[in-house]
Order: sequence, then structure tokens, then C-alpha cells
Amino acid sequence: MSHDTIPLEGAQFLKAETVGLAEPKGFQALGESAERSAKHTAEIAASIPYWQEWRDAANRIKSFSIVNLDKLLVEFEQNVTARGATVLWAADAHEANQYILDLVKEHNVKTIVKSKSMVSEEMELNHALEAVGARPVETDLGEYLVQLARQRPTHIVTPALHLSAADVGHLFQDKLKEPFSAEHQHLTNVARKHLREDFITADMGISGCNFAAADTGTICVVENEGNAGLSTSAPPIHVVLMGVEKVIPGIQYLPVFLNLLGRSGTGQKLTTYTHLFHGPPPGRKMVVIILDNGRTNVLKDPAARMALFCIRCGACLNACPVYRRTGGWAYGWVYPGPIGAVLTPHLIGIDKAGKLPFASSLCGACGEACPVKIDIPHQLVHMRHRAVNEPSPMNSALERLTWAVWAWWFSGPKRYRLAMAMVKLGIRMSKFLPWHPGKLGAWTRGRELPRVPEGPPFRDWWRKNGTQVKPKTTTPPAANR
Amino acid sequence: MTRAMSSRDTILSRIRTALSGEPPVERPPVPEVWPPGNPSVEEMADRFAEELQAVSGEIHRAATMEDARRRLAELLDELSCDLLGAIDRPICRDVLSEIPSDHLAWPEAGGTARTMCELAAGLVPADALLADTGSCLIACGTPQERLLCYLPPVCIVIARTDQLVEHLPAVWESIASRSADPNLRGEFVLVTGPSRTADIEKILILGVHGPKRLIVLLVG
Repeated sequence: MSHDTIPLEGAQFLKAETVGLAEPKGFQALGESAERSAKHTAEIAASIPYWQEWRDAANRIKSFSIVNLDKLLVEFEQNVTARGATVLWAADAHEANQYILDLVKEHNVKTIVKSKSMVSEEMELNHALEAVGARPVETDLGEYLVQLARQRPTHIVTPALHLSAADVGHLFQDKLKEPFSAEHQHLTNVARKHLREDFITADMGISGCNFAAADTGTICVVENEGNAGLSTSAPPIHVVLMGVEKVIPGIQYLPVFLNLLGRSGTGQKLTTYTHLFHGPPPGRKMVVIILDNGRTNVLKDPAARMALFCIRCGACLNACPVYRRTGGWAYGWVYPGPIGAVLTPHLIGIDKAGKLPFASSLCGACGEACPVKIDIPHQLVHMRHRAVNEPSPMNSALERLTWAVWAWWFSGPKRYRLAMAMVKLGIRMSKFLPWHPGKLGAWTRGRELPRVPEGPPFRDWWRKNGTQVKPKTTTPPAANR
Repeated sequence: MTRAMSSRDTILSRIRTALSGEPPVERPPVPEVWPPGNPSVEEMADRFAEELQAVSGEIHRAATMEDARRRLAELLDELSCDLLGAIDRPICRDVLSEIPSDHLAWPEAGGTARTMCELAAGLVPADALLADTGSCLIACGTPQERLLCYLPPVCIVIARTDQLVEHLPAVWESIASRSADPNLRGEFVLVTGPSRTADIEKILILGVHGPKRLIVLLVG
């Protein structure tokens, strides 16, 4: 994790670089790439006659899993323990970090190779490890680049989507003392060379968990690079980080998710590597850390539970017009995009991130893209409702007063007429006002004001002519004889 | 462990409180995913080759084991492979029976990742091949067997045509029943092409951490 983590400050959505929804510099490539991915995924989905059935099935399996979460977690714990793994339960990120720090101390761990885990980002695990002098190495290429640059990922599937090949070349020149190149194959080879040494010398490997089968204690991890394979087979200790929601009732249910996840995440029929781990091999150690860290807050709210179905494919990010403009950092925390706007307020508190659900045009593209059929648009509306009724940045006296006045003003025809006249006047006057006032500035900076239409408003026209307009009479169709 | 026990109880009680009064949900049926099409072995072999090549894998076909031995020797020559690591299974022993033993390594328990880095290629046996996706199912019991799939720059998979199945659901029954054995250790890995990344500007590059080439030797 970078040292320049974004201060949450209520996870303010509109930051300097996104004010006015002007195109943030350097993110154009991200937007275009996400758009291409979204189009590709949609084409794949349309080409499979069973797609909607799969989504329904996945949704039903996840519904069942969430409603039986306590039983399934206990069953999973029993079965994975029977295979020789150790299970540790962490109520929050701090506790999960502490477990790992204890292992680091106990086994004198110096280097830790990590394959991608969003949970470890939640925990800010790298921070915690560095603080005790251990060396965490992100091994997913995108995560590695982001770690070298001391930044945060901008996307959950392709974390370094914001970096160009030239950026990477400069990064390697600066941090690894490698000669500059902007050639993709060369850059990949450089990363391979450096990370090889880390895989071989590491004392501990950390992976996430895509699915955990309760009935067999199977842990499923999917990836493309081979880094999860190496991170979990080269070092003597394998730590699995999983959120409580990752458990599914049985291993028989996996194929439908694997078919959905590869296609939605990266447009692949199956990811290059699908690992099914069954406990530690002889002579090795496996520790499974089951993390809550706010997930039970989601569970408490029946209207929001569906958000826990998420399989982290990133399809809703790619589909989202807001994400495409702003990139991942604008969401202030680990999970960007529409699902982040829903999950983050639950996980870190509506008081801190209550603004996020408003960062959406509610166009519905995320809901259509979601392979497990999470109704993200309605989740966003639900979280907006909570954000304006519970302590949050969206629930201020000023907000309430503003909307009360607005409601009163627009509920009377005379007041409405007056308001419209003022808008007209405002638009005409605006050219004499070159400044962008306060919060309104966010709107005016990125846009041109509409032109005032010529002629009288429709209301006036209707008052004069409305009575003379007769509805067009149409001859009824001849009765069927 | 008191801390661990108490957090376990805390989390489970949070979940139970949150779910209290929730009406039970019926356990959903296992979805079919893809209906069975019952293709012939030859159809599956063609499909497998096509799909494997689509994900940048390579395929060599051999009619008999005799033929396979010859093809493998040629392949190792072409790769200028002076040290091949192999998972110790009868099919690997068989296909390598004519390769000089000083060109072979059989990593056993205790073999380290560092020594295995010397290997020019790894030979692994597939338990099944999935025709619809060009995937190989490999069962690895030890860390060394697992490393053979990921560490050498070339991964050679050997399989017989009678191991071809149509798709993921068709092989799943066997994976599920083997996974139910509490004594099973290690991993099943489904490998679909050589390792790849698209993390820099979404440009596809093969061979990032794992093998740069994946070659399937299909016998029969």
C-alpha cells in the first residue's frame, strides 16, 4: 500500500482532478479501455443462449449462501481444518493484520509474495508488514506496478490501467535501475526477472480467495499470470485471505461461477489458471483468515444484502460512465465503481462515505452487466435513502433546507413561473459573470450553459391557443366481420 | 488462541443476529451450465486443438505411445532442452523411457524452487482435457509437482485422447467426488493456455510469471 493513501474525509467524490466532471488528465486511456471491455463482455453475454439462466442460477446460489452464512462458514472451517489448514477469524482489518504479523514473527519471515487480494488492500496489509521490517511484494503485474509507483489500484481487475507503457518504462528506470523501454514484451520480461527472485526466496505467500466450498473445504483462486500458482507453491507458508461472503454451499456449484467470472472479468471462457486448493501439501503450512471487516453491516440491512453476492469481476466498473471518466481513485477507498459506491459506505461507514452512492447517473448499465445479477442501481438508490436519513455528509441542515425550499417553490404555479423567469435571466446574465461560484462551479466549469429558447414559453402559448386545439379524431377500425 | 475463539464467536453471532427471523431459502438445484452434446472423441480432439490454439497454446498429436516418444524427443531437441523436469506418473515414465537420464529430473519432496529454476521445461500429465475451452486439468499432490506447472519456461502436458471431455460441467463430477476425499492434498489446476497478462495498456503478453509456452502432446 502506498504511503500517500487518499485521506478519506468522507470519501469526497469530487476532488480537484475531477471537479466539474472535466476529463481528468491521464485517464482517457482508462475510459476507452473500460468502454472496450464493457462492449466485449456484452457481446460475449449476447452470444451465449444460457447467459441469463446462469445469472439467475448464480444469484440463487449466492442468496442461499448468504442466508445460511453462519452454517456454511462453520462447515467450511471444519472441512478445511480436517485437511490440515489453520482457520483464524478476524473481526476487523487490524486483527487480520495482527495474525499475519504474528506468523511473520514466529517463522522469521522476511519476504512475502502476494497474489492479488482486494481484502489485503482493505487491510492495508503492506503498510503493516513494512512497519515491522518485512518486505511484501505484489506479484500480479498490475499490482506490482502500482506498488512500485506507491499508488493505489485504479481498477480491481487491471490495477494499473492508468499507466502507459512509457510510464512503466520510467518507473522501472527509476525504481529498478533498468534501461528505459516502452515495449510491452520487454517490460513484462523485466518484471518476470525481478519477481522470479522474490518467488524463490520468499518465506510466505499470500493469496485471496474467489470461492470457498463449504462441503469440501476447497479454496478456489483464479488468475492469468501464474503468480498465484507461484506465490502459493514456492514459499513454505500459504496464507489465504477471504471475506466471510466468499463461501458457497458446495463444490458442485462452482462451474457456473467460473463460466461467468472469466467472461465478465476479462472476456475469457476460463481464466488461464483456475486453482482448487485442498489443504497444505505435505511439509507445508496453510492458514486461512476469514475476515468480517464491516461485511456483517451489509448483512444487517436486508435491502442491501445482495451487495455481498459480488464476485469482484469488475464488469460494473467497465460499464459505468462515471467510472470511465473519473477512474478508480476518485472513489476514495479500495472498491471503485458502482459496486464500490454501494459497498464502501457499508464497510467504512455511511458517515464517512455517504456521498459515494450519489456518484452515479443511475443509468442502469452496472445492473445489466453484473453476472450475479446484483441490482446495483436500486442498491445505489437505497444507499442514497440511508445517506440522507442517517448521519452522513449528505444529511446536513443545509441540504435539508435546500430541498425543502426547492419542494415548496416548485409546488406552486406562480412560484414555478417566477423561478423559470429567474433561470432565463440567470442564463442571460451569466456571460457577465466569468466566475464559477462555490458548489455551482463544479457544474459550470465543465459545461456550457444552454441557450435561452426564442419565443414565449409553452405555458404562455398554451394559455392562448390551448382551447382551440382539438384532439385529432381517428376513425375507429372497421369491426371484424 | 483465546483471541481467535472470541472473534469467531463475535463474527458468527453478528451473522446470526443479522439473519434472525429470516425465512429459510430452499437449496437451489445445481445448474446444468452447458447441456451435454455427446460429441465423438475425434470431434472433441479437433475442438480442443482449435480452442487451445485460440489461447496461444500448441498441440502435437501422436497416434501411439511409440509415436509420442519420438515426437517428444524431437520437441526437446527443438527446444534445446538439456534438463526436463517431470511429474512422476506412469505415463511420464513411459513417454520419457528413451530420453537419457542425465537430461531428466524427477523433483521429489524437498526439491527447492531455486534448483527447479534450472529446468528448461516441465512435463506434467493431464487428468482430463476440456474440448470446449482447450483446458488441461492437472492434479498436483506436492509443492514440487505444482512448481513444475508454473516455474519452467515451457510446460509440456501429456494426455491420451480417452481423457478428452466436452466441457467443464462434464469433468466436474469427477473433480467433486475426488475433492470429497478428506485425505486429498495439494491442488487441482485447470490450465488454459500459457501464462499471460494484459496489465500494461491491455496489450496481451504471454509468459509473465508462468510458462511462456504451453505444449500439449495428445496421444491416440
